Amino acid sequence: MNRLSRIGILESGASYHTFALEDPRIASFFARQIYLPTLCAADLEDLDALVIADRLHPGLLRRQTATLLAFANQGRTLVVLGEVEAHTWLPGVDWEARPTNFWWWLEGTDPGVRQRSPDHPLWQFVTLPDVTWHYHGFFRPPGGSTPLVALEEDGHEVGQLLYEDSISTGGRLVVTTLDPIYHHGSNFMPAATRFLENLLRWLQCELADNRHG
Amino acid sequence: MPMTEHMPSIASIVLLTMGGPEPLLVQHFRQRVCALDVYDLPEADLTNVRGLLIGMHCDQRQLQRTQTRLTEFVVHGGRVAVCGQIAHPFLPGLSRFTPLQNYCLEDLIVYELAPHPVWNGVVLDDLIYRRGVVGFYGRGFHIPLAGAVVVNGLGLTRLPLDFVYRLGRGEVLVHGGNDLWGYVADSTSAHRLTPQLLDWMECV
Repeated sequence: MNRLSRIGILESGASYHTFALEDPRIASFFARQIYLPTLCAADLEDLDALVIADRLHPGLLRRQTATLLAFANQGRTLVVLGEVEAHTWLPGVDWEARPTNFWWWLEGTDPGVRQRSPDHPLWQFVTLPDVTWHYHGFFRPPGGSTPLVALEEDGHEVGQLLYEDSISTGGRLVVTTLDPIYHHGSNFMPAATRFLENLLRWLQCELADNRHG
Repeated sequence: MPMTEHMPSIASIVLLTMGGPEPLLVQHFRQRVCALDVYDLPEADLTNVRGLLIGMHCDQRQLQRTQTRLTEFVVHGGRVAVCGQIAHPFLPGLSRFTPLQNYCLEDLIVYELAPHPVWNGVVLDDLIYRRGVVGFYGRGFHIPLAGAVVVNGLGLTRLPLDFVYRLGRGEVLVHGGNDLWGYVADSTSAHRLTPQLLDWMECV
């Protein structure tokens, strides 16, 4: 167990969850791994942050909405990764799906991924190339949220691939459409691995700063 | 509490799901395939089911808890197709996935080692390259049970990527990459995989 951090991760037994969390580069960030089908509030009591792994069962997450939002409302951080139908259980967010274009980089086209809020501390850890890969759709976050990675189509911003919401709960929600654990744990796509590692580095430093600040 | 309010009427082939929208496979083959939430499998009536499709997103810990039920299904004559990378083996004969390390293009080339009706007429290049991108079809391997027939091998050493083996009166097909039915809407010969897989399951 890493004694410096109190980050938990919620996973649900997919092979890529297991393989990603067996990788010491990733596992070392987490004080606890929690299996979604048996989640109870006591699992979260001593955590400062909870990462909701990508591609968890949306129906099980909806059943746990009260527990998860109570966690955030206690001033803690909930990091929600992609493909979990977050728009069906997080407050105030809409979702619009897009067809997946995984070959854009071979054709040299612009995927439309844009940096926002460049002074945000996340950008001291994550780079734009880390988040520039295929996406499955975008969010329209609640008003007052901080956009971090936007999607543009035909030169117009249509929504967010990554945002921070410090308004909707008593804590903080960091929400993305991207699914880096699936790709890292499936031995596929180095950019996803970089995003996952750098996102977790940022989160760990944030928590340390908050504790010492 | 079941994930689905009403258990679906079971088709001859069942696709296990992790919630989410209706799978493309079911949209294409509604008469032959129905979706069943993986957490509802323990209570489902599989009496008239011939085939189970278990994809790469399934909760394998849950599948492992259902191992007795799955094993009985195959032993009594059912066919199971397992796609993805195994972390928690849930049937006799399944082993943990071994990922390729520092792989290059040559390591991802697929070679036919034995004919099988599921891959009949499928041009291997249509599996290796998808819109020019390599790696969807396989990035590692599982060690098959002795007696298994390896259908397709990966890379210069022909690592076992696709194989089939008998278990009692039934049969298990393993593909160590992205779901075979993920190619259902492809415009290449890869789209043949899905109907041929369903045919293979129903011809028992």
